[in-house]
Amino acid sequence: MRRKVKDAYQVLVIGGGHAGVEAAVAAAVIGCSTVLITPSITRISLMSCNPAIGGIAKGTLVREIDGLGGVAAESADHTALQFRMLNMKKGPAVWGPRVQSDVEEYCLTQREKLRTAGVHIIQGMVVKLVGPNSRIEGVLLSNGRVINAEAFVLATGTFLNGMLHRGKDTWPGGRRGDNSAIALEKDLKQRMFHVKRFKTGTSPRVVRNSIDNSLLEKQVSHDVKFRFSWSTKSGIENRETCWLTRTTGETERIVKENLRQSPLYSGRISGKGPRYCPSFEDKVTKFPDRKGHPIHLEPMGKSSRIMYLNGLSTSLPQAIQEKIVRSLPGFKNAVITAYGYSVEYSCFETGEFDGALKLRDSENLYVSGQILGTSGYEEAAATGLLAGASAARKTLGMRRVVPERISSYLGVMVNDLVTKGTEEPYRLFSSRSENRLNLRQDNADRRVYSLGCALGTLSDEKKKAYGKRERKYIFLRKEISGRRLQGKSVEEICRRPEVSPDDIAGIIGFSPQDINEKEILNSVVLDIKYAGYVKRAEKRHRIRKRYGMVSLSVIDDYDAVQTITIEAREALNRRRPETLSDAEAIPAVRQADMDALVLHLMSGSVSRET
Amino acid sequence: MEQQSDLIAALATPEAVSAISLVRLSGKGASATVEKLMKLKPGRLTGRKRVVGDLAGIDYLVAISWPCGKSYTGEEMVDLMCHGSPGTARRILEELERNGARLAVAGEFTRRAWMNGRLTSLDVLTLYAKYKEETGAGAGVRSDLSSELSELTSEIEGLIEFSEDHEVSEEEQIAFLLKRTLSRTQALAIKVKSAEVLPRVFLMGPVNAGKSTLFNKLYGEETVLVSSIPGTTRDGATRTISISGRNVEISDSPGSGGETLDGKALELAVGSLKNSDRIVWMDPLCASPSVALSGSRQILTVCSLSDRRETEVIEGWLPVSSITGQGIEKVIEFITATEIESPSWRLERMADLLQEAIFASESQDIALAAEIVSEILREAEEPERCGEAVERALERFCVGK
Ligand SMILES: Cc1cc2nc3c(=O)[nH]c(=O)nc-3n(C[C@H](O)[C@H](O)[C@H](O)COP(=O)(O)OP(=O)(O)OC[C@H]3O[C@@H](n4cnc5c(N)ncnc54)[C@H](O)[C@@H]3O)c2cc1C
Repeated sequence: MRRKVKDAYQVLVIGGGHAGVEAAVAAAVIGCSTVLITPSITRISLMSCNPAIGGIAKGTLVREIDGLGGVAAESADHTALQFRMLNMKKGPAVWGPRVQSDVEEYCLTQREKLRTAGVHIIQGMVVKLVGPNSRIEGVLLSNGRVINAEAFVLATGTFLNGMLHRGKDTWPGGRRGDNSAIALEKDLKQRMFHVKRFKTGTSPRVVRNSIDNSLLEKQVSHDVKFRFSWSTKSGIENRETCWLTRTTGETERIVKENLRQSPLYSGRISGKGPRYCPSFEDKVTKFPDRKGHPIHLEPMGKSSRIMYLNGLSTSLPQAIQEKIVRSLPGFKNAVITAYGYSVEYSCFETGEFDGALKLRDSENLYVSGQILGTSGYEEAAATGLLAGASAARKTLGMRRVVPERISSYLGVMVNDLVTKGTEEPYRLFSSRSENRLNLRQDNADRRVYSLGCALGTLSDEKKKAYGKRERKYIFLRKEISGRRLQGKSVEEICRRPEVSPDDIAGIIGFSPQDINEKEILNSVVLDIKYAGYVKRAEKRHRIRKRYGMVSLSVIDDYDAVQTITIEAREALNRRRPETLSDAEAIPAVRQADMDALVLHLMSGSVSRET
Repeated sequence: MEQQSDLIAALATPEAVSAISLVRLSGKGASATVEKLMKLKPGRLTGRKRVVGDLAGIDYLVAISWPCGKSYTGEEMVDLMCHGSPGTARRILEELERNGARLAVAGEFTRRAWMNGRLTSLDVLTLYAKYKEETGAGAGVRSDLSSELSELTSEIEGLIEFSEDHEVSEEEQIAFLLKRTLSRTQALAIKVKSAEVLPRVFLMGPVNAGKSTLFNKLYGEETVLVSSIPGTTRDGATRTISISGRNVEISDSPGSGGETLDGKALELAVGSLKNSDRIVWMDPLCASPSVALSGSRQILTVCSLSDRRETEVIEGWLPVSSITGQGIEKVIEFITATEIESPSWRLERMADLLQEAIFASESQDIALAAEIVSEILREAEEPERCGEAVERALERFCVGK
């Protein structure tokens, strides 16, 4: 019995989902004694929905987690059954790596990660926080026990007052087979935290050998060497097959005829659902003329007898779900093991938390994952890492660190959630970033390294490995920029759209020794290719950031600012922008006017009466 | 409530006998002024309203009002539809002037719309082309190009984000849309080019400085004549020529007929210069009004007749001889040195970028194509880049637009 459970810790994480695990590991790596409280040790990091990790932008986020010292990437590699690179034909900036995962193995692997990091795990349900909001002191478990700590991370996923719906049936639950966290939500509300209701749903699962594969399209791994984590040494192997089918006109007809029976449409669910991972009911209502929606048949694990129906999220009654499933080609004799349902849950309102994911009303209570209003394992894991690190830093009296939106999807997401908020479960897209050509999956570690160092979530070993890669990067960069071919610099050649990293390798006489070296070369070439665009995006970002912080409320009348043009004065007087960056968005205000405004503000000629 | 500019008024229809004439008002107090003149209850013409009645005993007319933010200019506006006799409209305008309105200058309504963000730079350029086109083809005030570019953006983003779970357009469709936008941009560029205000080059200096000789030299040999407009200045001549593929309006300036041009005239000329206008100041004695020596990059000081023995070249002056051809190349270089920011140039640059986007999409880099398209949109919106082109276009609008 090496680990003895104590009654007081530095960091306490509530909820062992994707967010909670990263939060606990990050806090432990930074050096805090950390405990994770979750109802069931066998359901740690359980994938509640589809058995897959990654996707467009999400896959890139998983690699950022790896670059920050998180564990999701390693676990995803270790438990992958199949790999696909989405968007292969749309440019390296938007390639989306995605793996099928063995769900059970993933839980085990994540649990192992917690152990390795030295996190204590307590099985239990938190029913109440103890102490005043400003300084939470501990948590009360349903068995009456109180655990104290110095900082807390909430990571309760879809469980806060979770209500499950299917047809006319409604019952409390956080997810199928789990209890809802009703008491904790009540406590949070009593503490005057503002919550809103969101909803999401999942698809039915079927028995593998009840499906006639001969009518389905086979899908295997893409023939590309890939792994999420730099510490995984070899590319992902194909261990399982997936299948693709399409809905028939019959499928849509059944859904349309029974829409009234869906809790989503009968008005019984009031929460807002994700627009981009819609229920099948939504798809049919929003695109009534469309036929043949793609449905992916994905195994829940290696040789698992259960298959997940990706794309068929529904909460219609069981009998209707039977009909829908059976209308698919190859599914005539399908046996359903679990029916689709939707879940409605509470999450925090925008404005309740800050850029370090701390609740504004509290000194030591942090939030992460689905309760921030996000959706998806990857989003949860990344915010978990940040919240865990923030809590640990707070405990140790270290400076607060907020990620920048220009250099990572984590930064984009946190900034969006804090400043813009979200009216539906927030999912990452590549288009949410204004620096997309740089936020690629191949250079994720280089982009987030300085953030990782600032947060303190990188172990010495990881830093050393990074240093080695960085030296290779610099070496290759020099090789390329020093060379010319037939009167052209090799950099120029890199910029040509049709030129690939392999071509460049040939030119500079470099043969990659392993998957890592190949990827570093790839990054160097792409960095050169997009350098011009990235530089401009970063410049815009700097200006916006600088201007965004400067308030113009001190200027009553722009006619008094004679250094700016008359047109600009007129426009400014009319529009009354709040900050310099709002002013910049006005067409009549030129760069020269901006400079003049800045000078005016700095010169102190603004009257300070009142 | 937004603050508004002063009240302007103008006749928006031709000054001729017609069925109706339209007088527009825009700015602070537009509604109140008309309410007063029509003896209406205050507020009767506030917001989106229509009133038929008598205006100051001049005419029985229809008044239509728009609220701030909803009108063409984005300000409070009133349109007065009166009987179409020139006298009526004139009297209404006089009455409005007496009550605080000011007569608008050319393009002022559109300029306000642009400054208030009601029209983008691209919209103004498209409008400009529309007015220059006799047939008046094409519908809608908003630029077709603006909306086409945004449509393109959403198609591309759809393809990037949702191709896995939804039916979206394919790569080929993006290439097709890009090409369609490209050809529209090119067509618009040609239209705009044929009608635009060109950058001007003034040849200036004392009599017998050799201006006319240089003018003929530039016009005769190094350049291609595009059109010949009779002199717009008192004694000088103006020609549109194309230098290194760019159209430029070149004037043998006033003063060449005999009077000596003094510093005052030069100062005036300098004051009215647009960014891409140029002055070539010529003097065999290298003497000139001080303002010419202010070091402006828009002024080139030329020591003319440098082939004559007695001429002594002073530092900072370029020796030029129209006879030996000395220095001529440098003059041309000066004239074409900066990027000439004109409406058509702006559109041509857009076309170049679209070409790049097409190339990127054909090399399976849709993300890069998307970045280029958003760069086009940004450039079109950025006042710093587009401002002068728009100002130049606005100069050519009619009064009342
Ligand atoms: C039905 C359903 C459908 C979904 N559909 C989609 C989808 O379509 N698309 C998509 O991207 N994502 C979907 N997901 C969401 C995805 O599962 C989550 O985004 C992700 O799991 C969130 O991670 P998390 O760590 O925030 O929370 P979870 O993975 O939900 O983990 C929360 C953990 O906290 C524990 N916990 C809760 N309350 C307490 C308490 N009081 N005390 C102690 N422990 C507690 C829970 O037991 C659980 O282990 C769906 C989830 C569900 C349940």
